[in-house]
Amino acid sequence: MIKVNPPVQCDVLIVGGGTAGLMAAIAAAEKGAKVIVAEKADTRRSGGGATGNDHFGCYIPGYHESVESYMHELEQGMCKGADPKVQRVFVERTFEVVKDWEKWGINMRPFGDDYVFEGHSLPGHPKCFLKIDGRDQKKCLTNEARKRGAIIDNRTSVTRYISRDGRVVGAIAIDISKPEPEIKVYEAKSIISVTGTGARVYPAVAPSCLFNVANCPAGTGTGRVASYEIGATMVNFDKPRAHIGPRYFVRGGKGTWIGACCDADGKAVGIVGRPEPGEQDITTDICQEVFDLSKKNGTGPIFMDCTENPKETMEHMKEGFYSEGISSLLDAMDQQGISLEEDMIEWGRYLPHIQYSGTCINEKCETNVPGLYSAGDECGNFFCGVSGAAVTGRIAGENAAEYVKSVDSFAEIADAPEIKEAQEFYSSLMDREAGSYWEELNYAVQNIMRDYASIETPRSENLLSCGIYYLEELDRIARQRIKCANSHELMRALEAFDILALGRLILISARDRKESRGLHKRADYPYTNPLWNTLSMTIQKVDGEDHTEMRKL
Amino acid sequence: MPPVIDKKKCIGCTTCAQICPLDVYGPVIKGQKPEVLYPNECWHCRACEIDCPVGAISMTYPLPMMLLRRPKSMIKKEGAKK
Repeated sequence: MIKVNPPVQCDVLIVGGGTAGLMAAIAAAEKGAKVIVAEKADTRRSGGGATGNDHFGCYIPGYHESVESYMHELEQGMCKGADPKVQRVFVERTFEVVKDWEKWGINMRPFGDDYVFEGHSLPGHPKCFLKIDGRDQKKCLTNEARKRGAIIDNRTSVTRYISRDGRVVGAIAIDISKPEPEIKVYEAKSIISVTGTGARVYPAVAPSCLFNVANCPAGTGTGRVASYEIGATMVNFDKPRAHIGPRYFVRGGKGTWIGACCDADGKAVGIVGRPEPGEQDITTDICQEVFDLSKKNGTGPIFMDCTENPKETMEHMKEGFYSEGISSLLDAMDQQGISLEEDMIEWGRYLPHIQYSGTCINEKCETNVPGLYSAGDECGNFFCGVSGAAVTGRIAGENAAEYVKSVDSFAEIADAPEIKEAQEFYSSLMDREAGSYWEELNYAVQNIMRDYASIETPRSENLLSCGIYYLEELDRIARQRIKCANSHELMRALEAFDILALGRLILISARDRKESRGLHKRADYPYTNPLWNTLSMTIQKVDGEDHTEMRKL
Repeated sequence: MPPVIDKKKCIGCTTCAQICPLDVYGPVIKGQKPEVLYPNECWHCRACEIDCPVGAISMTYPLPMMLLRRPKSMIKKEGAKK
């Protein structure tokens, strides 16, 4: 049996040491809470911002007209569909975070004394995103969290949360710092669940490259699944979102590219024609249908044409690839002898990633489970990239630190049945001598998601219901079949089970949205119901049953 | 094999294995030069390459991830309208 270590106590357990997690740690520790960050990699280089980000949503009073007009621009651009209550507190606190990041050594003004706004904005409209150099942001945030006394448990993969009497009391994790896994138990008065996006739920566009995904492949929806299991409401799982970018070399960061969307003849196909030299083609943010339609109607392929960039624009753009943490694209181009001055690069749409869908929060970043908070990419009703993670992480940290003051004592969970159950299950995976590898489970989930919750072809009650049944059967089989040789494989196997559980919630939510909307196209309900424009699909576990509801948030 | 370590340059500081977001190098073993244990799990973020103090790491990219290009010169030769 896998060794279970005695529980470690903290006021606030932060699950995930990405941008949101570290900002939460800094805020909670500053308010005097005892904070532990559990991170499955190393906070200096982990998560969506591991090697950088270059666009940071920032509202500057005086520069921008008003909070309302700023929110309006976000809604028209790349941050559609956010809950306005959360969006507002985010917007109001962005500049404060920008100034703190500067103080902590993150380069928020890489072009001199002035803040520079660039990209992700409609032509002629006010610009909302600061162009920053975030390549070392995670190191700076790690330093600040440590300075304030936060403890960082790297190589610690949290697997589930524990609640008692409806409130959060702790979590179970596996220690992967040594080949032999051990179970860690946290007794915590509050949990901030910040596990990022959900990658690897749908197949990668290049078969055989499981980790070739737009967002960090380590984000596997664990926080969503663990939160759901203790009663947290999830939202927007029915709404698929798909990134676009270089075909086959899957990468986020579309806004870093400066150039025009063109067909094979070099003719601009974007919604505003060929952008001015030096401008991003906003088509990539707001009209991704261009990439999908061109494939379906035979007018493709579509390319990103940077060849007409003036020399200084080209240098500026390439520097942006480093700030954004996507310099591997430039490295791969160099190795392949590609020159952006002479070659157009084909782009395409990827299969859905799980972002803009997940844990439902309010303006204090609380979930409906007392003591459980969420922020950043894990949230289902708010999104604004790295800036969203930074600001909501801070808000979650502040409010969690306040909440723990009202919790008198720790619940004793050393003998909790959840721990015994986890120990037995994880040990069974480790002890099995013959069986299936975790990759098989991951690929099997992806098959079902691609075909039964497709964005390429319409969905239907029959397809989605069959898909749910198949995933449940796959779960039963895999529990008896998966084998792991070491802690690393155990982490991956448990991730694959989370991916399966996340896929199931997506299928159920999609089955119960009986209309078509965006990329959620139903053969049996082809129309969009205008009466539901203000409603969101929520899913919650009530008395052990999955309960969906269209709700106004 | 995405990251490749030049074992002649490597000083065994284990920075790469410590900071890899995907645990591609597996657990850190003090005093031992890291090995790429899980090459298929590389995200090609270059964190290891960027943080290696002696420049011992370079990246290779899997063939299925080959970037697809169309040289502008090819359009001119084909006589297509610009």
